[in-house]
Amino acid sequence: MSEAKTSPVSSPVAVVEDFSVSLVRNGVRTQVLHHVDLQIRPGEILGLVGESGSGKSVLALGLLGLLPPESHPVTEGRITVGGVDLLHAGRDELRRVRREVLGAIFQDPMTSLNPTMRIGRQIGEATGDDAESVRLLETVGVRDAEQRLRVYPHELSGGLRQRVMAAIAVADKGDGKVARQRLIVADEPTTALDVTVQAQLLDLLRELRDDFGCSVLLITHDLGVADQIADRLAVLHHGELVEVGAAADVVRRPRHDYTRSLLASRLTLTTPRDARFAAESDSDSAATESAVSIRGLTKTFGVGRGRRRHEITAVDGVDLEIGAGEALAIVGESGSGKSTLLRMVAGLESPTSGSVELAGDGGPQMVFQDAGSSLTPWLSVGETLGERLRPLKLPRDEVRRRVTDALAAVDLPPEVAKARPGELSGGQRQRVGLARATMIPPAVLLCDEPTSALDASLAKSVLALIRDLRARIGMTVLFVTHDLAVARLMGDRIAVMQSGRVVELGSAEQVVSEPRDPYTRTLLAAVPEIAS
Amino acid sequence: MTTLTPRWRLKPVAIGGAHLARPVAWGVVGLLVVVTLVALFAKTLAPYDPIQPVGALNLPPFSPGHLLGTDGIGRDLLSRTLIGIQVSWLSALVVVASGLLIGGTVGLIAGATGGWVDSWALMRITDLFLALPGALVAIAIVAALGSGLTNTLVGVALVWWPYYARIVRGEVKALAARPHVEAARLAKAGRTRILTRHLLPGVVPTAVITASLDIGNVVLLLAALSFLGLGQQAPAPELGADTARTLSQLLSQWWVPGIPGLAVLLLTLIANLGGDAIRSLIPVRR
Repeated sequence: MSEAKTSPVSSPVAVVEDFSVSLVRNGVRTQVLHHVDLQIRPGEILGLVGESGSGKSVLALGLLGLLPPESHPVTEGRITVGGVDLLHAGRDELRRVRREVLGAIFQDPMTSLNPTMRIGRQIGEATGDDAESVRLLETVGVRDAEQRLRVYPHELSGGLRQRVMAAIAVADKGDGKVARQRLIVADEPTTALDVTVQAQLLDLLRELRDDFGCSVLLITHDLGVADQIADRLAVLHHGELVEVGAAADVVRRPRHDYTRSLLASRLTLTTPRDARFAAESDSDSAATESAVSIRGLTKTFGVGRGRRRHEITAVDGVDLEIGAGEALAIVGESGSGKSTLLRMVAGLESPTSGSVELAGDGGPQMVFQDAGSSLTPWLSVGETLGERLRPLKLPRDEVRRRVTDALAAVDLPPEVAKARPGELSGGQRQRVGLARATMIPPAVLLCDEPTSALDASLAKSVLALIRDLRARIGMTVLFVTHDLAVARLMGDRIAVMQSGRVVELGSAEQVVSEPRDPYTRTLLAAVPEIAS
Repeated sequence: MTTLTPRWRLKPVAIGGAHLARPVAWGVVGLLVVVTLVALFAKTLAPYDPIQPVGALNLPPFSPGHLLGTDGIGRDLLSRTLIGIQVSWLSALVVVASGLLIGGTVGLIAGATGGWVDSWALMRITDLFLALPGALVAIAIVAALGSGLTNTLVGVALVWWPYYARIVRGEVKALAARPHVEAARLAKAGRTRILTRHLLPGVVPTAVITASLDIGNVVLLLAALSFLGLGQQAPAPELGADTARTLSQLLSQWWVPGIPGLAVLLLTLIANLGGDAIRSLIPVRR
């Protein structure tokens, strides 16, 4: 490591030259990246944006020298980090580069930390001594660092776990004498986090850059996040780099069509709302007949054993009246009790106290967050949908016709009836879930973050579909989400939940533009918006 | 004697361990089919009556007319081994199948119902059986019912199912926590339908794989029991009993105890390989 590397204007930390890679997936070799050229300069935050399947995570793995050997990668070109070509380096050399230059923060901090090891030992593997570990934890904003060394990963919140990962990533694993350039590869580090925690973590990444001179490759699907923190942006589409430039330019003056479509599919707090429901949201909801009335609903869970046993109140005395045909969006961060509330309305969870009354018969229907696991894997889509018709005892032809109709209603071709869930894409599965919920029009449709696992463009179309179905059927919708922009789009009214209580309830526009509760304001401030 | 007594229930080492290549796996499954066919048609295949003396005493293998030789009273060893395979193999299949049926039903109901039915009624009974030394209980049951093949099968089947009950219950519990079961409930699918269509098919791969790995264990236990004088009664051929009775001849005429002993070894081996093969061929869905 020469002295020259510490000077501000020097060679890039990482150079990706004409990098192509193909991987074997499900027995088929597919080209994942095509001739990617990219440089990461010292002390810059480079945002890498793309939808799922664009190859952005594979590029990250390439930069870490971690291309999965079980996928038999075939590579072309070069990835040079710390003066070493990672694609052709030996094991020892790779290890040296990872130790001296690279750090990684992955999407799911629970799986990237060892669940059987105390935090202290895991950081200690990188730092070597506890004092240094404590210092690092304090730098990344972990309070009571000394105590934290003794806990296991599951005892920390998601945000804290990512901070621990960040501490390991910046740890100086060398002899500590030479200040080195470091590269932190952060692969969707905030996707699993709440917006307020996301904002803190993005601040942390910026601090690491400022204080340690780290370079950061930030991979994200969210242009808003990238715009907030990145200096430069690279847009990846089907394995090709379609646009690279200063972040502000790419976001505000995109040159490539794909970047434009990405920007267009972004849901923001100013996305025009559906005109079809404008009338309803203006009218006084109390005037209409109530479709769902929730009174004093409370749910407590007992956690822990023996002396450490205590109760957690997930939902704490919630009162809500939802009119027939109205859509209410429930917004909150993880742990706010919004999903538990919805599950109690669905009858999947029994309330500790309070009551839920539903109008109409046949019960509510629900669309789940993880569409894949909400469909029985060994039943074909036709069988799953047909199940809803069983009580009607229809002849076989009629069942088939109705299943085809239901699929058509969610813009799916009739052939999908023969497929099993495993053969469908994420968006198709969520459409099947919607078809199942609405093929017999329910009085109340419950949606539990149905689009949080989908890419922006897909999410947008699924949301539009839910609104179409609502307009057609005239059902009441309860829509749970963590995303205020989605809530504003889907709900006539928004209820903001915090720690099991509804802290604010008002019309969608009012909650977003004139929030009354401080917590709502915090939430709004944390939403990464692209300022024009 | 200790050489033939199985360690109670050799547990398959971590599901997902040895995976056989597909052609090999199909080959092994073919072997399973061949063994079953041999067992079914043993009477037709056997050249002589296995009980009547038909030749000179203690003829070595490859003697004219007696491919595997004869035993101490001149009975044809090939015929005795074939009939012995029939008894052991079919008994093992019956025991494993009944274990799957009883254990599977108990596990399915316990796992799907939960609550006191699960934790008090069904699983405590299962634990009771699991806590007792199975082989000894089987011996006690046979002793009480009187020795004989049918009674032995009943005895072994009675101690065999709790294992399956545990496995199936665990699988069902894991499956029942998945949203697809909740979705089915919201879709107004009935109790039985959820049980049979949304839970049962998910359990089948694991249950079948475990059961197939278990056939070898049952073959060994049955052999051990007849070695102890329980199970199939002399003079009817039984691989374990035949080996035990003639063990004194091991040094002078090794083939007399050796051939039925080797047959047990072979059956166990094929059964265990078969389990591995089925595991490689059935995709376990998650």
